[in-house]
Formats: sequence, C-alpha cells, structure tokens
Amino acid sequence: MKNNILIIGGGPAGLEASAQLQRMGYNVILIERSAKLGGHLAKWDRLFPDRVPADEVLGGLLRAAEGVKCFTDTDIRAINRLEKSYNVRLTNGITVLSDAVLVASGFDLFNAVRKEEYGYGIYNQVMTNADLEAYFKTGNDKRIENPKKIGFVHCVGSRDEKSGCRSCSKVCCATAVKQAIEIKQAFPQAEVFCFYMDLRLFGRHYEDLYLEAQKEYGVRFIRGRVAEVSENYDGTLLVKAEDTVASKPLKVTLDLLVLMSGMRPSASVKELGEHLGMMVEEDGYFSVRSGISAGQRSPQPGIFLAGAATGPKTLPETLADARAAAMEIERYLTEIFPDARNYKQLVKERW
Amino acid sequence: MIYEGKQKIWSEYQKEIPDDHYFYVRSCIRQSFFPASEATFLDITRNVLGKDIFETEHHTTCGGIAYHSDTIPQETVMTIIARQFALMAKHGYENYVCSCITSFGLYCETMETWREYPELEAKIRENLWKSCKLEFAKPKFLVHASDLIYKYRNLIAAQAVRKLVNVHTGEPLKVVEHIGCHYSKMFPSKGVGGAEYPYVLVGMIEAWGGEIVDYPERRHCCGFGFRQYFIKGNRGYSLSNTHKKFESMEPFKPDLIITNCPGCPYFLDRWQYVIAESTGKTYGQDGHGIPALTYEEVAGLVMGYDPWDLGLQTHQVGVEPLLDKMGVEYDPAKKYLGKDGKDLGSPQPCACLK
Amino acid sequence: MQDYRLKEGLNACINCGTCTAICPAAEFYRYDPRRIVDIVQSKDDGEIEKLLRSDTIWYCGECMSCVTRCPRKNAAGLIIMSLRNLSIELGYFIDSEKGRQQYLLTKDLCSNILDYGYCVYPRRFDYAGHPESGRVWEWEGKHLDDVFERLGGNLDGSGPGAMRRIPQEDLDQLKAIFDITGASDRMEAVRKAGERKAAEWGMTKEEFEAKIYTDSSPKHLNH
Repeated sequence: MKNNILIIGGGPAGLEASAQLQRMGYNVILIERSAKLGGHLAKWDRLFPDRVPADEVLGGLLRAAEGVKCFTDTDIRAINRLEKSYNVRLTNGITVLSDAVLVASGFDLFNAVRKEEYGYGIYNQVMTNADLEAYFKTGNDKRIENPKKIGFVHCVGSRDEKSGCRSCSKVCCATAVKQAIEIKQAFPQAEVFCFYMDLRLFGRHYEDLYLEAQKEYGVRFIRGRVAEVSENYDGTLLVKAEDTVASKPLKVTLDLLVLMSGMRPSASVKELGEHLGMMVEEDGYFSVRSGISAGQRSPQPGIFLAGAATGPKTLPETLADARAAAMEIERYLTEIFPDARNYKQLVKERW
Repeated sequence: MIYEGKQKIWSEYQKEIPDDHYFYVRSCIRQSFFPASEATFLDITRNVLGKDIFETEHHTTCGGIAYHSDTIPQETVMTIIARQFALMAKHGYENYVCSCITSFGLYCETMETWREYPELEAKIRENLWKSCKLEFAKPKFLVHASDLIYKYRNLIAAQAVRKLVNVHTGEPLKVVEHIGCHYSKMFPSKGVGGAEYPYVLVGMIEAWGGEIVDYPERRHCCGFGFRQYFIKGNRGYSLSNTHKKFESMEPFKPDLIITNCPGCPYFLDRWQYVIAESTGKTYGQDGHGIPALTYEEVAGLVMGYDPWDLGLQTHQVGVEPLLDKMGVEYDPAKKYLGKDGKDLGSPQPCACLK
Repeated sequence: MQDYRLKEGLNACINCGTCTAICPAAEFYRYDPRRIVDIVQSKDDGEIEKLLRSDTIWYCGECMSCVTRCPRKNAAGLIIMSLRNLSIELGYFIDSEKGRQQYLLTKDLCSNILDYGYCVYPRRFDYAGHPESGRVWEWEGKHLDDVFERLGGNLDGSGPGAMRRIPQEDLDQLKAIFDITGASDRMEAVRKAGERKAAEWGMTKEEFEAKIYTDSSPKHLNH
C-alpha cells in the first residue's frame, strides 16, 4: 500500500520534493493556499548569478511534478495526530490520512512600507526589488521612465532590530548586484549606486557577478547604510548615507530608488504551527531537529521541513533541501514508520 | 507624494491623550521668548474649552537644558523631575502636560530608564526624600502641550473665525510643519504619528484648512544644539542647520512655519534675520521672511485673537504679510504698545529683513 | 562605566554609518559618531582617553536623530552624553577648546537654576551677548517688564504665570537636590578647573571667560 504524503506549499521546495517522492513511488498530495503554483519563483524574471530565465526553471519543476495531485486555493482546515499518521481536513472538503507531512511554506517578502524612513508607498520614485523584477518581466512600471541616477538600498528589513529582524536575508546582495547590472543594460547612460553595509556574495560565480557589475557596467558600491529618503520639489529623491570608507556623510539626488526587501517567515507559520504543534524559534522560522545534521526533520516524528520555511535560502539550496527532505521521508517511511510495535522506540533512536 | 501612504502610518502611531484634568508645567525658553503662547494655551484650554489645566507656582524647570548641555549629572535631572511629579501627585493629578519639547523627551527618557532599571528609580526616590521630604508618583499619562491642542483641534476648528487660507486667492496657505527633535526621535511610539511622519502638527493644519508642505530637510534638526547655541564660538553650527532647512524649503514657497518646540520658532525666526542681514537673502516674498509661529499662535489666529495679544510683535520676521493673506484685522499702530496703550517706542529697523 | 546612558546607548555597533549619515554635526564638523561608538565598543582605554580630552565629543548637538535610525538599537547621542559626563568627572574637558566651554555653561545655566529656578532667564539673556537675537529682542530687553505685562506674563511676580518669581523654599529644594546628587560638587570642580586654566594662561577670570565664549578654530570644520 502506497503511503500518503502531504506537502504543504506549492513553491519550488514543495514542487521539487513532490516530484522526487512521486518518482520514489509514494502517493503525494500537494496543497497551495494561493491560486498558482511556483511561489515567488513565478514572479521573477532572471535568476542570479548566471541570469537563467526563471520561467525555464519553474517550467522544469512543474513538468517533473506532473501527476502529483495538486490542490491550489487550498489550505488546512484541521489536523489530528493519530498514533502515527495525520488526519488532515483540507478547506476544499477533502480529508487525507497522511503518513508524513512536509512543510514547505516558504517565505514572505518584508513589507517595505514598514521601513518608514525610506518612504515606500509615500514618495513616488521608491520601489522594491520585487517591483523591479516585475518591471523586468513585463516592461511596465510608471516609476521607471529613463532614470538617470538609480540607487539600490541593501538590507531593507534585514539586520535591523527596529523592523524586527536581526538576521540577514542571504539573497538580497546577489539580487541587488544582478538587478544593478540589468537596469544598466536597460539604461546604459544611467549612474547606478548600491548602498550596502556588507556585500554578502558567498556563492559560486557571485564574486564574478560583482566584478562584472563594477568593470563592465560601472556600478558604484558605497559602503554605508541609507539613513533617510526624502522627496525634492521636482519629485527626485534625496538620499542620505555615510561613505564609511571615507568617513564622510553624503547626500545623493536620485531618480529611482530600489529597496532590497528581505525575507520574513511566511505569515502562514503561526497557523500551521498551531495546527501541527510545531515549534518556532525567536527569528520566527520553524525549529528543526538539528541545524547541521537534520535540517529537514522537525523535532516531531513524521513532520518534515524544506525550503525557506526554516530560514532564508537561495533557490539551489531550496531545491537541494527539498531532495534531502524526500530522502528523509523515504528513510522514515521504510525504517521507522512501518514497525507498529517498536515505533516509539525507533523514533527515540533514529528520529 | 502618495498621501494614503502617510495616512496608513499615522493610523499606526496613535497615542492615548486623556481629555481633561492635567497638571501643567511651563518651558524655560517659551516663558522667556513666547510668554503669550503659554498664556494663549491656558486661555484656549481653560476659558474657551472649559478644561481643567492646573498650574502651581511651585514648579520649576525640569533642568533639561542644563542636562543636555552636560552641566548637571543625570541623577540631578531625574531628581528634579521626580520633584515635579511629586507636585503633580500632591495636587491630585495623574495626567501631566508639559510645554517644552526637550522636557517631554526627557520625561519619556527618564521614565523608560526607570522602567528598565528599577534600582535607579529607587535611588531617585531616596534622593527626593532626603533633599525635599517629598514622595512622587509617576504620571499615568504624559503628553506634550501640542498633543493637547492636537486633541482639541476640531473643537478649535468649530470655534474658528477663519481658516489657514489666503483670502485673496482662496487657496489654502502652504504650511511647513517643524517638529522638535525631542518629541519623537528617541521614542517614536510616544509621538502622534511616530518619528518619520509625525501627525501632531499636520493634524492641526488639516483641521484648520491649510496645506502641508513636505520638503527634503523636514526632519532635520533646527540646530539649537544647546551648547552649540549658548556659546558664541559654536553658533555657526546652529545657524548652518537652520540655513540648510530654509534652502531646502525655499522651492515650495511656504507661507508659514508652525512648530511645537520652544527653541525652534526662536531659531527659525532669528537665523532668518541673521541670514538676511549678512547675505541679503530672504525666503519670503519681497524681502520678507517666512513667519515661524508656535502652534498656540496659529490656533489663536484662526480663533480670532488679536495678533498683538498673541505676541506676534516679538518675532523678528514681520508677520504682517501673513496676517494680510489671512485677512486678519490688526492695528499696526498698536504693535509695540504696552498694556493700556503705553508707549514703549519700537525696535530699530533691519537693513535687509522686512 | 556605570552611566545609564551607556547601558542604554551601546548594544553592539556594526559600523553601518546610519548615525553619521543623518547627524547634523557630522555634516558641518569633523565629526563621525560611528567612529566614536566603535572606539567605545573597542574598550581601548588609550583611544577613549584621547577622545575624552579632545574636541571631538563636544560637536554633538544632542538632537537624537541617530537614535531613531540605528539598526542595532544603539544610541550614539546617549553614548556621547556619557562620554562628556566622564570627561567632566575626570577633569579632561579643560584640555580642549570645545570642552573648556563647560566652564561657562555650568556657571550660567546652573546659576540660573539655583537663582531663579529656570534654565533661561530673560534678564540674563542680553542683546549684547546675543546680537543674533535681533532688533526686536533688543527693544524688548529695554522694556521687559512692560512687554511681559502686555503679553500676559508674570515676570518676577508672585503666584503662577510665565517667568514668575519661584518661591525661595522651592529654590532651596533645588539646591538640596543639587547638593545630594553631586551637581553642586560638579559646579565647584568645573569652576576650579577653569580658574586653574585661566591662571595657567595668565588671564583674569573675565579675559578667560571672554576667550572661551568666542574661540572657534576653523580646524573643527568639515570641508
């Protein structure tokens, strides 16, 4: 009898894990609360560092997951833990008796309005990384009309006690460098500035991207966090930062400012955590069994995690995480779950 | 500018301001330079609106200026503040309203520090008892005088005889609002509207028919800087900061500046005089400056008080162009007269500033 | 350091420069609050002592704009205040041009508080020392009592009102507070330090006061 596996979240992690688990022979049910599969990936244009088109990657994930039972616009109504399995009632009326649950609830983008001093939603020429990515996809944004001076603000909503998130969101520096290059490609005459505290370009080819941005595109990198944004009489923006390398405060007038909004735990974490009795850490992401050796297992037997549900990740990390979660699920369902008599003992030893 | 964006933020920084029964303490600088503003505050709240605003002659400075000039230790200023609180408790009040913005910031800072370090509060209690044989209670609500006028702004609008409108063109006056730094920069949640887009003065302007001007250096300090002004050798700091603000607001052509801090209207007024006399540049029309008024002066104008009762004659920048725009009736001959028409002469004219 | 302003003001600094970006003093003076916080954080006593003896810590205008924005919830302005406090306690303030000004500030502001109960007292705010106060204040200064009466004040009067004469028993309480909390000691220490310096320079008290009131070297400015 094939085991049922419930996957919560239809973004890249959920899609990849469901494809793997289906290939392994399990009966996968994937639920996604929004109307579309693909998560944030569906909204992006090109992916760093090599600027692969996002829809190609998404297309691959969707094709591999063909055959998986996917319910969009569907959430969890209630979950009961039975002795080993989970009795899950979905909002579409269907009930699933699931032997393992994979939480792939992903992340939300920080709402840049909350960083009030940057004026998003107040000063017209301020936009976010998500807005800019949408512009690259559609070619349409009324804020962008031949800008001559463009700024990128790193760490918006990240590494910031005042906006409630101490941690780094990992991907924004690479995204900023990528978007800086892309906007220079769109407007070759523009001057582009990146205002950063640290440049976190840790991955393979990331440093090359940085070098390219500097050498081929003349992007200027200023080590100083933006303190304040205001609007001039003509609608241009006045941005204040310190050039910490030169130890001098500076003011720049820009036509366009892009805020690199960071990652936050998904808003669904609270509800899901309550349904499943899952612990959440101080940073708002789900706890894992062990940060190093068991990052895809929650502390509870039978509940697995993959993707940004356990903290900021790049896309390749998310996909690797999803495959690892699939392996963990397979191991659980072959070595621990089937043994009804010794279940509790096996969980103690091997979970 | 997307106005709705600001409205969302304003809705998040609401502050509870009790309606009545306040213990009132004055401001050193306002008593010296804007005594009519404080008198107007009491007249509007007590006589026009019928509120209970109590003042005892035994209250003193909070010591804020001395504290921020680093001339007295923190324990001293906290004990002085405790004494003020003791007077409040003695007279049976739990709502505290202060006239000075530095005071307001200092009261907030003191109470927050006590909250985090109760042993310090205990020490101050001991100090106060040893020095004055007094015991204090912390106010239940602490507000600034501009918070109260903000709270009553619609009541004032209802009794207003005019609006912040140019009667000749029908257009609302363009008003720059300047918030004192110590109002909300340290504790944004303690200010109406927070620190980035404070609403306490914007609310008044909107209620009274004016139009807000937002300009790049809106949040910038006027440059008082305490020691940076008191010592002559430092005064360039103070002047430069105010100058920066005026250069930034110039393209927006404001008719009026409204402020809620004691020092700011003094500096925004006097440095215009210095800039005019030393460089010839003025920021109003035809050699005039932009009047920098306190919120009580603006409230008084819309309610129909005589400008010379409001103390507008003690501003260096001439207010007549503004009065004319608003259609205020005034007698120029009475501008510098004392009580009962006593002749006090008049100030020397300026070389450049009208 | 036991100063509560340091406890409140220093969490841990990441040198992002947000404070310096928004600081009014950093724009005009050779002043960088970020570097000062970094030095304090480093606990390098040698560097800190240099700071306490320098002009640098006296450039701040205590506007607290830095406090609003710091992503680590530090407060550069509060740290500066605690440094100033320490510099005064240790007597180092007298070494620097800007620090020396404490002599005048302490004398004037504290005496206003003890004599009148206010930090600022209009009869002591003369036009001659403050020409920027303008022609109107010059006029007002000559007619202070009449103007106050006209404007509804109560200059030196009894009972409540603007600039009233605060009863002596209240001023005595302020003095007692000053005595118990160390403010009187500070006033004395600062006065003595100033007098020593004046003697060292071979100046009378008046000459000394006039000098520190107006001294301002161009080297302080940011070009």
